[in-house]
Amino acid sequence: MNSGCNEHRINRKVAISHEEQAIITRVIARAGQLLQAYNAESRIIEQTTERLGMAFGLDSVEIALTSKAIILTSRFGDHCVTTTRTMKAHGIDMGIVCEVQRICILAEKQIYDLEQIKQRLDNLNVPKYNSVIVACFVALSCACFSHLFGGDSVIFICTWLTSFIAMRIRQWLTQLHHNLLTVFFITAFTATFIGSFASGFGWGNEPELIMITSVLQLVPGFPLINAVSDMVKGHVTIGMARWMTATLLTLASTLGIVLAVQLAQLGGWL
Amino acid sequence: MSGLLLMLVDDAVFAGIAAFGFALLFNVPRQALLACVLFAACAHAVRTLLLHLDVPIEWASFIAATLLGLATVPWSRKVLIPRPVVTVAAIIPMVPGVYAYKTMTGLMTLHHQGYSAVLQQQVVENGLLTIFILIGLSFGLAIAPVLVYRNKPIV
Repeated sequence: MNSGCNEHRINRKVAISHEEQAIITRVIARAGQLLQAYNAESRIIEQTTERLGMAFGLDSVEIALTSKAIILTSRFGDHCVTTTRTMKAHGIDMGIVCEVQRICILAEKQIYDLEQIKQRLDNLNVPKYNSVIVACFVALSCACFSHLFGGDSVIFICTWLTSFIAMRIRQWLTQLHHNLLTVFFITAFTATFIGSFASGFGWGNEPELIMITSVLQLVPGFPLINAVSDMVKGHVTIGMARWMTATLLTLASTLGIVLAVQLAQLGGWL
Repeated sequence: MSGLLLMLVDDAVFAGIAAFGFALLFNVPRQALLACVLFAACAHAVRTLLLHLDVPIEWASFIAATLLGLATVPWSRKVLIPRPVVTVAAIIPMVPGVYAYKTMTGLMTLHHQGYSAVLQQQVVENGLLTIFILIGLSFGLAIAPVLVYRNKPIV
């Protein structure tokens, strides 16, 4: 498999001792673990680990992916080193995926040696955007969706406010390391509950749009797209796991929505 | 004609802003943000144009995603950033979130209020629409690596 990687193969056949091979394998496993923890596609994990192995002069790197761990075997001559890393989910961070990919290319072009790569992987320095700014713009995204669905400017502003509050709550809960399902449930509940007041007051041309669009920030688009692309490219089990995760997240947010709607109906303003 | 053009521009601008928010949420690196917004705006405008020409939504999504996937290849090679970093954030405005929520709320109402054929019809229709749009989007993105660059890493 991945015979296409041959063009990247570096033609240096230096003997690698068993200890060196173990160190190389640890570095590759670390790269794979990072990619998986920050939600990279399975194809990228497979290709990057293989390319790193080739860059360091190994004969082959085989990787078995499960939804919770990666198992990696590197082979040089008759020597095999196998290692397993469990995955600690960290949410989505494309900055880290980019950085690991860049490190892989640096190794391939022989700009960095093993020690430098190890250093750089251990001290990843990927800046994160300020959380208030992120919340502002995610809320703006939801407001844009309300415009795309035909809401007027009152709806636009109300959606922005509602999603901003919901997004801040989501960030706060995520920071406290709550279960993702709980976070989605509470966020969806808050967004819908606040949005329902606009319907009560009859603001804008379609007040229900506020409730619908302010929860759109919770749509698990990333796992859903990743799930189908993984299945298309042959990683069926991981794809199924991702699809199920996405379904559960949708279910959790829907529970929050339904609860908020029923409370609002009980209160009599919806 | 100018009405259609105005609608497309409006659509592109707002889809671009929407993608920008999600790109920040996914921590897309700074040098990829502008590309992400532009790709998202163009892809969404293409889909809206196709929908305007009465193409079914799943095919329109598929074509828009295919164009997006192919367009990102030269860009990705130039800046050495893997494609999913921009494609997924750019495709988020097209993800059928409302249909997914409608399917789930429909299921809960079906359980809560008891069976009714109308409700079941809504659940099945929304659910199928969600699944087919998603498959269309993902297949579209996969066209470039699967059909054109078979097994070769793009970056």
